[in-house]
Amino acid sequence: MEQNSFDAIVVGSGMSGGWAAKELTEKGLKTLVLERGRMVRHPDYPTATKDPWELPYGNRITQETRHRKPVQSRTGYPTPANQHWFVDDLDNPYVEEQPFDWLRGYHVGGRSLMWARQSYRFGPLDFEANAKEGVAIPWPVTYDEIAPWYDKAEIFAGISGSVEGLYQLPDGKFLPPHDLNCVEVDFKKRLDEKLGRKLIIGRCANLTAPLTHNESPQRGTCQARNMCIRGCPFGGYFSSVSATLPSAERTGNMTLKPNQIVYELIYDNDKGKATGVRVLDSETGKQTDYFAKIVFLCASALGSAYIMLNSTSSRFPNGFGNDSGELGHNIMDHNKPGNSNASVEGYLEVAYTGRRPNGFYIPRYRNVGKDKRGYLRGFGYQGRAARSNYNRFNDTPLMGAELKKAALEPGPWTVGMTAFGEILPYHENYARLDRDKKDKHGLPLLVVNAVVRENERKMEEDMKNDAAEMLEAAGYKNVTVKSDAYHVGNSIHESGTARMGNDPKKSVLNKFNQVHACKNVFVTDGSFMPSFGCQNPSLTYMAFTARAADHAVNELKKGNL
Amino acid sequence: MNGSDESLEMLERRALLKRVAWMLGGAVSAPAALAILQGCSAKEPVPGAAIASKFFKGRQADVVTAIADVLIPRTDTSGALDAGVPAFIDAVMADVYPKDAQERFSAGIDEFETAAGSGGTAFLEQDTAQRAATVQQAIDAAFTGEHKDKPFILVARELTLLGFYTSRVGVTENMEYVAVPTVYHGCVPLSQMKKHVYWE
Repeated sequence: MEQNSFDAIVVGSGMSGGWAAKELTEKGLKTLVLERGRMVRHPDYPTATKDPWELPYGNRITQETRHRKPVQSRTGYPTPANQHWFVDDLDNPYVEEQPFDWLRGYHVGGRSLMWARQSYRFGPLDFEANAKEGVAIPWPVTYDEIAPWYDKAEIFAGISGSVEGLYQLPDGKFLPPHDLNCVEVDFKKRLDEKLGRKLIIGRCANLTAPLTHNESPQRGTCQARNMCIRGCPFGGYFSSVSATLPSAERTGNMTLKPNQIVYELIYDNDKGKATGVRVLDSETGKQTDYFAKIVFLCASALGSAYIMLNSTSSRFPNGFGNDSGELGHNIMDHNKPGNSNASVEGYLEVAYTGRRPNGFYIPRYRNVGKDKRGYLRGFGYQGRAARSNYNRFNDTPLMGAELKKAALEPGPWTVGMTAFGEILPYHENYARLDRDKKDKHGLPLLVVNAVVRENERKMEEDMKNDAAEMLEAAGYKNVTVKSDAYHVGNSIHESGTARMGNDPKKSVLNKFNQVHACKNVFVTDGSFMPSFGCQNPSLTYMAFTARAADHAVNELKKGNL
Repeated sequence: MNGSDESLEMLERRALLKRVAWMLGGAVSAPAALAILQGCSAKEPVPGAAIASKFFKGRQADVVTAIADVLIPRTDTSGALDAGVPAFIDAVMADVYPKDAQERFSAGIDEFETAAGSGGTAFLEQDTAQRAATVQQAIDAAFTGEHKDKPFILVARELTLLGFYTSRVGVTENMEYVAVPTVYHGCVPLSQMKKHVYWE
């Protein structure tokens, strides 16, 4: 028992778990980090430096991958360059009552290795929306309360971006912004002139300049390779493997154990506290209990909800901390119903060098200020302009020496962009356990049922029409708006399953990410979100995790936990 | 890029190499070091002439080889055969395409060969100019009328393009390929680029 006891246990080693590990260990807590997947160490990323000709099949997704990873292959991600980061769906099944794309990375670092690195603050508009509109429950945290923690997260992680002074998208502590390319500068100017809409460079967790602190000597600046998803041996982008876990390790206070599936919280009814977690070794099947004064669940919105739903006791017959009946409910993501493209005339004598791991961003403008629409909330666009490559010849009869000659010049410019829309929290969008269905470890399966509803559908009209309007207003040609069948989860931003709020009857967590009914358990991944904005959420998870860890250590010191 | 930029780039690469060596605990092998300095891997491409077929049967490999050869011929620079495109198509068909598409492609090769020979000379007996004309005719025909599935010849060309422009010679002879660019410049006149197409 002694050797299995720690001050703190962190479940999960991804975006949130890495931050929890760093903050708790730096504050002196002996911390056990449990990761259900395999070990990954910086800078050991197997495909990171492969040249294009070293990747088989022109880097196309193979039938074998599609067979083993059918859900992961619903996106374009699991190519030969990347597929090792995406879970084997056959070994890790779940039940889709409605189509739900659950993209997962079971390894140390989790999805912080594969993320798109877009890093935006939520603003007052987002934190106040539920209360003002009477949707779900109010946020228990204001923008001003979380702003210093955003500062901390941005400074440590290294977020590049431009200062814009937008109310709906607060500025942060930025490293220098990436360049917009020539056509994006043109698009920005025309959008501003014709429609009064802003186009900015994406804010991303790539080091466009050295970090402004000395805490991460293992990280170098971004080398403009744009192969981030493979893992970056330069440490050019933020992941828990490149940044937070090395910090935690240097304290000497971290014990990191891979291949450990946490499936249950241990609850002591007499103490009214969690005393630890139950773990299954994914390779040996061995069961172990680990004990600690506090537990941080950072296993992802569905992963943490799973553990809590599976932790039943006389006190919590419906799942851990589930007095409100909201555990597993209110699943959100970002609605992504299609993309838009256009071709651009001119600019034929210019191009770009280097590969920018970033694109442009058109921040939300709907239902901002005086704009009022027939739906709530809004959306933003992410996109880029680029010169077309050899694929353009597929649309022509060209061949032979003529084709080879033409291929020595870059093709015409194109602009493409994708809208990400806010999805409201609905109690009816839920995850639950099916105890009659088991995985290979004998653990019950998660069942997911989440769809977009009326507000999202109304918003989709604007998402599509506005894209066409902007591309046409810019004078671009062949404007096409493509509709895709979007399934919740496809933006890989699933969230909301253990929302925070001031009222324990309506929420699972309090404003410090503590389980209302069991204060020594904290949940700091996307589970806690009471609403979801249209911004990419990872930076918000970092900020709330750091704040929760600070609160946890203060409360421990006061003897409150 | 002018000369001073190039030497700057080299300096940056050397700095980079140092950092990599440091990160790996000083264990950067000589070939890996060379690769970083050259901005590309030292590994050689797989040659494509004689292929051990996973997918092609009988003369199919010869037919696809002949088609790839005229789609992207060797000129003053390497062509599809130098890049191993037939072996690439064989592997992609075997491991990437689903069964129905495999069957269509296989039937497509056979039908192409039959149709190409119907004028008199069998396709594989035609000289290069005749083969090129035959393939061009097939492509032109594919662009007329409606087709339920993508016509065979266009799949063959798509894969020839993919195989060639992801091969070592296809990339390095036709594009500016920099493994570690170090920096992104958003607006560069083509006249200042070593090659006009920057690999991305």
